[in-house]
Amino acid sequence: MTETKKEEKVYRQLESNTLLQQIMFQYMLEGHQASEEKHLAWVTSGFPVEIPVAMGVGVSYPEQYGAVVGSQKVGPELCGYAEEIGYSQELCSYARSSIGSVEKPSESPMEGLPTPQALLACNNICGTVLRWYDAVSEQTGAPVFLLDTPPIDGEQPEHHKEYVRRGIDRLVDFLGRTFNATLTEKRMREVAALSSKAIHLWTSSLAACKNTPSPLNCADRFLAMAPVVSMRGTDLIIDFYQTLLDEVESRVKNSIGAIRDEKIRLLWDNIPPWHAIFRFFNGLAKRGVVFPADTYTHAWSGAIEGDDLYESVVSIYSNVYLNKGLDAKVDKMCELIEDYNLDGFLMFSVRSCKRYSLGQLISKELVTERTGVPGVIIEGDMVDSRVFNEAQIQTRIDALLEMFI
Amino acid sequence: MGKYGIGIDIGSTTAKGVLLDNTLKIISDFIMPTGASGSRAVEKIMDEIASSSKLKLKGIPIISTGYGRTRVENAEQSVTEITCHSVGIHSLNPDIRLLIDVGGQDSKVIRIGQDGRPVDFELNDKCSAGTGRFLEVMAGVLGVSIDELGPLALKSLSPATISSTCTVFAESEVVGHIGAGKDPADIAAGVHASMAAKIASLSKRVGTVRPVCITGGVALNPAFRYYISKQLGTELWIPEKPQFTGALGAAVIAIRGLSG
Ligand code: SF4
Repeated sequence: MTETKKEEKVYRQLESNTLLQQIMFQYMLEGHQASEEKHLAWVTSGFPVEIPVAMGVGVSYPEQYGAVVGSQKVGPELCGYAEEIGYSQELCSYARSSIGSVEKPSESPMEGLPTPQALLACNNICGTVLRWYDAVSEQTGAPVFLLDTPPIDGEQPEHHKEYVRRGIDRLVDFLGRTFNATLTEKRMREVAALSSKAIHLWTSSLAACKNTPSPLNCADRFLAMAPVVSMRGTDLIIDFYQTLLDEVESRVKNSIGAIRDEKIRLLWDNIPPWHAIFRFFNGLAKRGVVFPADTYTHAWSGAIEGDDLYESVVSIYSNVYLNKGLDAKVDKMCELIEDYNLDGFLMFSVRSCKRYSLGQLISKELVTERTGVPGVIIEGDMVDSRVFNEAQIQTRIDALLEMFI
Repeated sequence: MGKYGIGIDIGSTTAKGVLLDNTLKIISDFIMPTGASGSRAVEKIMDEIASSSKLKLKGIPIISTGYGRTRVENAEQSVTEITCHSVGIHSLNPDIRLLIDVGGQDSKVIRIGQDGRPVDFELNDKCSAGTGRFLEVMAGVLGVSIDELGPLALKSLSPATISSTCTVFAESEVVGHIGAGKDPADIAAGVHASMAAKIASLSKRVGTVRPVCITGGVALNPAFRYYISKQLGTELWIPEKPQFTGALGAAVIAIRGLSG
């Protein structure tokens, strides 16, 4: 109890969090309703969700569910249910949580996600999603649609764009057949406009963290990104991102930081340890460490615009952070370090997510070489707390912080 | 600046204490197995330092370091072994830019900046291969004491190949070599070469910058020194008491402060 009280002292809660909770609750209810009406699809975080939304299909996000499992500290249990039926401990813990929750809904938070009628996977984040959705398809009987977005190194070639575009056409067909739905240009424009608006508001809040003190810390952004990840294209979230931006701007105007006593500004790389998110970031906040930027929450920043909306969809969803080569990641990290005036960086090597974590050793070296700031790699997992060794993490972080004294 | 400073390094295998005066002369030092209770080790170290230095230790600032650093009650502050080793080596030889410390249960490679503070580091604390523990296990399999293992390896003319980087698998490889009648000296040499390769790759991650210094208990092993120097292609500098650099650095910080 005393611990929590102390933490509140260094960390300033956002008032807009109340609104966030409300819309996330409503989102959950809508998911259940869509499922009951046999109109629900599960989608991956990098899926062009604007299309199912424009076609009136409800969506739920198993990765977000994984984050909930992590935050509720039941990762080992849910991952365990998947392991019991034969899945490897090396498999992504979002996948394990999801498969585990479908296996034992009564023992899972919120009794699992509402039952899907279709599974929409886009491999722009990783190849795991396809196998994972295949597994859920076996469990639930829902068909899988794969939007294939081959990785990009440098500029996206024309034939590559054409290929992804055809995938989008197939998606519209698939949704039409599965849900008896149609896509009109008018509705797509409305949804794209709402999605872009939310993204503009969101990225403005992110950019405000260039200020010192930073108005948001890592945990703030990881929570506040939930609607832009899962409800892009709906009007429900606009109000929230406007309220958040107002609050952020008022903090900046009054020089109010996300933490009380900002001394060291660091970049965070990768998914957060959901099972320890407050303890971890607030613990560092006590020592004056704030994270004004991270590579993860900046990933939802592409707005669908222009005359040809589908061309824009192709470009945005092919060019997501994880679908590009290591150079692009290193460039992004260096850019964030410079733009946000950061003193160093912390890379979380996530056991589950090979796609995000592979190459971190090399990136670390390159980023330090280019920016001159030190960084450190810590290891663990976002959901499965069994592979999170706090003493080892502590030594690495302490040593990094001692470099700034 | 205080007149004296004490550094206490609670490692996973051994606990060390150093008492320094403000000219950075070592007045007293002591090493013992950490055992099951870090706090008992601290008590014993303080008693030994007090009796050998004949000083009253009350009021002398203590900095703790090492894996058990946060559990040293009387310490003014705990500082990581990364920073302490760096500061300790810098106080002995300011030219050193790369430090490789191989302890009982972990190993670390630290790049030291001009001011004696670490600028980059890599730690291996997850896998016993590449630590003193690896050599202990192999000495056990070969039926020699840990002190005999290094000298035995140096007698080899054709080291055996140990390709596995995992202690458990390497152990079966060694058993295989024994079964095949290989000369124990060759097997011991292979064991050291394999461990040196693992540590060399850790140090290449940080970037091998000469001159290179080796510390930790394993630095006392001549075969390890031979193979790591060969792997890195560089001469090594080894302090007189390589196990004490962490505690030494902590004592320097106790006198000068972390930013001093
Ligand atoms: S492997 Fe990584 S990118 Fe893929 S679903 Fe898991 S966490 Fe996401």
